[in-house]
Amino acid sequence: MIVPRPIAPRMLRLAALGLASLLLLAYVLGPVMWLLSSSLQTEREIVSIPPHWIPESPTLANFKAIFATGLGLARPSPAGTDPSSGGFIPSVAANLLPAMANSFIVAVTVTILNLLIGVPAAYAIGKIRFRGRGLTLYAILATRVIPDIALVVPLFLVVRKLGMLDSLASLIIAYLAITVPFSVFVLASFFEQMPDDLDRAARVDGCSRLRVLTHVYLPLARPALVAVGLFAFLASWNEFLLALMFTQTAASQTLPIVVAGITSDFTVSFSFLNAAGVLAVVPPVLLAVIFERYIVSGLTAGAVKG
Amino acid sequence: MARIRFQSVTKRYANGATAVAGLDLDIADQEFLVLLGPSGCGKSTTLNMIAGLEEISEGALLFDDRTMNNVPAHRRDVAMVFQSYALYPHKSVFENIAFGLRMRRVPEPELRRRVMDAAAKLEIAHLLERRPSQLSGGQRQRVALGRAMVREPSVFLMDEPLSNLDASLRISMRAQIRHLHAQMHSTFVYVTHDQAEALTLADRIVVMRDGTIQQIGSPDDIYERPANLFVASFLGSPAINLLEGALETIGGTLCFRRGALTVPLPACFRGDAREVVLGLRPEDVGPATSEAAQIHGVVDTAMPAGSDQFLGVAVEGAMLFLRVPKDVRVREGEPIGFGLTESRLHLFDRTTGRSLRRAA
Amino acid sequence: MRAVTHDERAAAGLLAGLVAVLMAVTAFPILYSLWISLFAVNLRRPNRMPFVGLDNYIAVLSSPAFWGSVGRTALFSALAVAAILVIATLVALLLDQEFPGRRILSACLLIPWAIPSVVNGLMWKWIYDSNYGALNGLLLQLGFIGSATIWLGDSNRTLPLIANAFIWKEVPLAAILLLVTLKSIPADLYGAAAVDGAPAWRRFFAITLPALRPGFLLVTLYEAMMAVRHFDLFFLLTEGGPGGASDVVAWRIYVETFRNLSFGTGAAMSYILAIATLLMSYALIRGMARTL
Repeated sequence: MIVPRPIAPRMLRLAALGLASLLLLAYVLGPVMWLLSSSLQTEREIVSIPPHWIPESPTLANFKAIFATGLGLARPSPAGTDPSSGGFIPSVAANLLPAMANSFIVAVTVTILNLLIGVPAAYAIGKIRFRGRGLTLYAILATRVIPDIALVVPLFLVVRKLGMLDSLASLIIAYLAITVPFSVFVLASFFEQMPDDLDRAARVDGCSRLRVLTHVYLPLARPALVAVGLFAFLASWNEFLLALMFTQTAASQTLPIVVAGITSDFTVSFSFLNAAGVLAVVPPVLLAVIFERYIVSGLTAGAVKG
Repeated sequence: MARIRFQSVTKRYANGATAVAGLDLDIADQEFLVLLGPSGCGKSTTLNMIAGLEEISEGALLFDDRTMNNVPAHRRDVAMVFQSYALYPHKSVFENIAFGLRMRRVPEPELRRRVMDAAAKLEIAHLLERRPSQLSGGQRQRVALGRAMVREPSVFLMDEPLSNLDASLRISMRAQIRHLHAQMHSTFVYVTHDQAEALTLADRIVVMRDGTIQQIGSPDDIYERPANLFVASFLGSPAINLLEGALETIGGTLCFRRGALTVPLPACFRGDAREVVLGLRPEDVGPATSEAAQIHGVVDTAMPAGSDQFLGVAVEGAMLFLRVPKDVRVREGEPIGFGLTESRLHLFDRTTGRSLRRAA
Repeated sequence: MRAVTHDERAAAGLLAGLVAVLMAVTAFPILYSLWISLFAVNLRRPNRMPFVGLDNYIAVLSSPAFWGSVGRTALFSALAVAAILVIATLVALLLDQEFPGRRILSACLLIPWAIPSVVNGLMWKWIYDSNYGALNGLLLQLGFIGSATIWLGDSNRTLPLIANAFIWKEVPLAAILLLVTLKSIPADLYGAAAVDGAPAWRRFFAITLPALRPGFLLVTLYEAMMAVRHFDLFFLLTEGGPGGASDVVAWRIYVETFRNLSFGTGAAMSYILAIATLLMSYALIRGMARTL
């Protein structure tokens, strides 16, 4: 609705909106900025009172240490070294890059499997009328109501029995449980919106159901595929509880587990801890900001139905 | 080449609704058959069953002598034009038309030739690189036709293909579709709710209602000799006039009576005394002459309509709408008399709705 | 029973992957944990697994400690959901306006949503740090407090502070959902009200708030579900402490299962939590659908 307003109220409105925007920005970005600022401070600077909101002598030392040890170019400081001395590299530093690699492998695999499993299933639910369609929908809905912590105990026992503890495979399988139902929901609501006639035209044109999917709907579903892929990636990248139970050594630990380990390690400085946090934050935040449009439309599609 | 036969086919949906009940229909090879009826009458379901887009609940569907019930759509030699056109938004016009041929692995040179041929015939050769979103409604319609044409299918299905076009385009496309049928050696099945479209296009019309066939016949049969009240009132614009009354035999002649009105009926009708409905199409009246049956009433309204004029005439407590030449001078409120063309009268049983015309 | 149709065969093929996943990693674990919950499973005694029937459930439901954690879970969830509703509504109303910079703002809004919960925990733990944390630093500099305050270590403050970290991460999603609801309000509704001479605040209460109802229901349902099951922040910030002040049900399940290695009671508790979540969702849908 456009109603012409006099100048003064319009300025007032803009000022109010500006103020509200600043408040929101401060609320949303403040904590993250503090995290970032802390990661760039030296061990000495970070314990100053009052805190330095902006680092006086910003340093990338923490990040350098993470990459150098992770790539085998430097060694963590030997045990017994005084952590407060400059240049101390905690032993967990060497685990961060491998953990990042683990997170990446898990997240990418889960994303690919989500699409491979979710797309055909969503197409069937969205476009084919079959007996049991309602039941399938309810089953998917129900999985979203079950708390993940309720799945932890049985999954742990099964994974242990199969001898799969401390493996990336166990994580990948468990993450399918928490991501696939949501993916199917988002994609199914997308397919449902597509005109039925397109499906029918393609079948008359000589496409089997599978070919309709690959030749007609997949090219059209790109935005939904991007959104679903992102959700699966972010959920896997960020997941903590299951990883905490299933992983034991650096061989399978993901980034959240290693970062959580650092938080309870009192020999590690706050600045290093924050640097590790920043490392874990950068990939998901970049993805979220770049693909904001896809994410918002995907979230609403999934939520309205779920 | 395909003769299409429905043998007591029933289509029930999962929710229990019956879309088509006990359908028996024999469509000759290369015939142009139109399925006509109001929305929800089962005509589209019938078409979809031919295409293989809907499963058949009971009965058999045969192409020539082959049962098709379990042959999926993509293995039937059928092409279809949709009301929404259903063009692939992500493909160019060329690829839209070529898609069905690609799926059937037609070699590239032949594919190009066939697409170009069709595009030339439909006058869309200059649009081949465009996307559907860049086309007008009429152009999309042609692309949809082209996509079906290039397939050179033995069965050509159309589901209300013209109803999204504006009126003038619709008339010219009718001619084009007739032309298409003459050129191709395909059986055409065409679904519409537009009786004028059905009358112009069809070799035979199937009128449907509530999942059952009301009448099958040539456009002439359907229009001139409707089998029941529903068919009579569904065809014709403006609609047929229906006068309720009684059937009586007066002096050996079967007569329709309503109040003071008595219309002697021609010999083609039969029946004993009962409640009936007399059908009179607006155009089937002429000047009052002594030898023809006559109808008298009072002019209620007179509406000029270009070449003709429409009169609302009050007759025995009912209102008849009649189409008469413009030169008939009338004034509202004045009495008027018409001659009836006997052979064009229609008579139906009021309870069953069936025509009382003797079988030819 | 009619025969399996061609379409149904196609659907079965397309659904095979999903069904396999649901069976293997959802349906089977759920049934398996039901089974486990009927035994006294303790990994410390792996060879003895006596059947105890409903004893685990009785033990859990008659334990005062369990009910204490239920109370804390309820308090945490109520606090979190209420605050999320209020803040997210304000954010959605702001983003519903047209002004320069709106798009950048909504992109930034996604940052808390995207941050791993581990980092969210780490970040707030550092903010709340009683020696060098930002909260004390800020309040001291602004003169609100005279000396450094203990935050998470104060059992009266623990739950609200953890809730705050939870709220910060959940507001974006809630705001997006409410914003979609706002956008679906037909503009002529406002136009009609404006023509009728209703002032802005009136239009807000007469049109906007009632129209937001489905959004409120959705957000309440979703966030309550997330809050009740939340584990990560409790693990990272306080480990249930201090002195059990943040001992919620999810934390208790974890302790029972992985620290006491008593899988039977752990599974029973998981089951109780799952059923409670289901009932809660149902009650919320019924209740809010009626009153709102």
